[in-house]
Amino acid sequence: MADVTTISEFAKLGAGIAIGFGAIGAGLGIGFATKGLMDGVARQPEVAGKAFGFFLLGAALSEACALYAFVIAAKLVGLF
Amino acid sequence: MEHWIYTFNIAGHSISVNLDTIFTMWFAMLVLIIFALIVTSRISVVPTKLQAASEKIIEFFWSTMDTMMPGKNRQHVPFVASLFLFILTANLMGQLPLRIIHLKNGGELASPTNDINLTAALAILVLIYYVAVGLKAKKFKFFIHEFSFQGIIMFLVELLEMFTRPLSLAIRLFANIFAGEVLIAICLGISAKFLPLPVMFFELIVAFIQATVFMMLTIAYVSSAAGSEEH
Repeated sequence: MADVTTISEFAKLGAGIAIGFGAIGAGLGIGFATKGLMDGVARQPEVAGKAFGFFLLGAALSEACALYAFVIAAKLVGLF
Repeated sequence: MEHWIYTFNIAGHSISVNLDTIFTMWFAMLVLIIFALIVTSRISVVPTKLQAASEKIIEFFWSTMDTMMPGKNRQHVPFVASLFLFILTANLMGQLPLRIIHLKNGGELASPTNDINLTAALAILVLIYYVAVGLKAKKFKFFIHEFSFQGIIMFLVELLEMFTRPLSLAIRLFANIFAGEVLIAICLGISAKFLPLPVMFFELIVAFIQATVFMMLTIAYVSSAAGSEEH
């Protein structure tokens, strides 16, 4: 029978694991988005401004995945 | 990050309200309403600086709608534009020094979008709007395109989407703003002199990006609801 303090310590461990795995996905996503931007701009330098807008959009969308993990982690440690 | 929760009873149900979120939301609404009143009170043929700036804002919305949703789109501009302007004002409010004022019970006057209740309300507004647009455009075919096995499966998937779309909209906006505040708090803990400044500047960019993302996704949902299926 684990007592309450042990369980809350394990919750902190779980929060760390959650945010770590979330960050992996978001990092891969933003990396691929940057690769796509660089490829497109190198091939067609005149679309740089328009492509950067779409890049920011995609980067924000994939960054949101890490933030879902952050919400779970914040719930686990009882931040809100 | 604590909220000032006020609880009261109506007919036996206890209802709790986050008062600090309501105050900051009203402040953002007040800023927008005063801006609109000032701009529209003195309209002239030769535009003043303020009028020219607000015309540029409207042209930004029109060009965004034209690229994202070609065709008849002007009737969606008021909804989308007010969503964008409200979220932008609310996000930018988080970097004002209003947080120095300490409220009761640990509440603080940060941006109202750091409360998931407000972003969830905005997301549910978007859900109601795009379902209404879809029903108006396609009548009952908005739910079931064809009576077949594939049609039923697609109906189930779209029913699931009706839950996941507002959920992801709400959590995305809330988590971005909330994570920014936590980041600033951590940087304050490490070194309160200069470390929070670049993070706060980054948060200014995040405010614009998140308002744009919310608007773009709203336009995409409305456009997919209103657009015709057959090509």
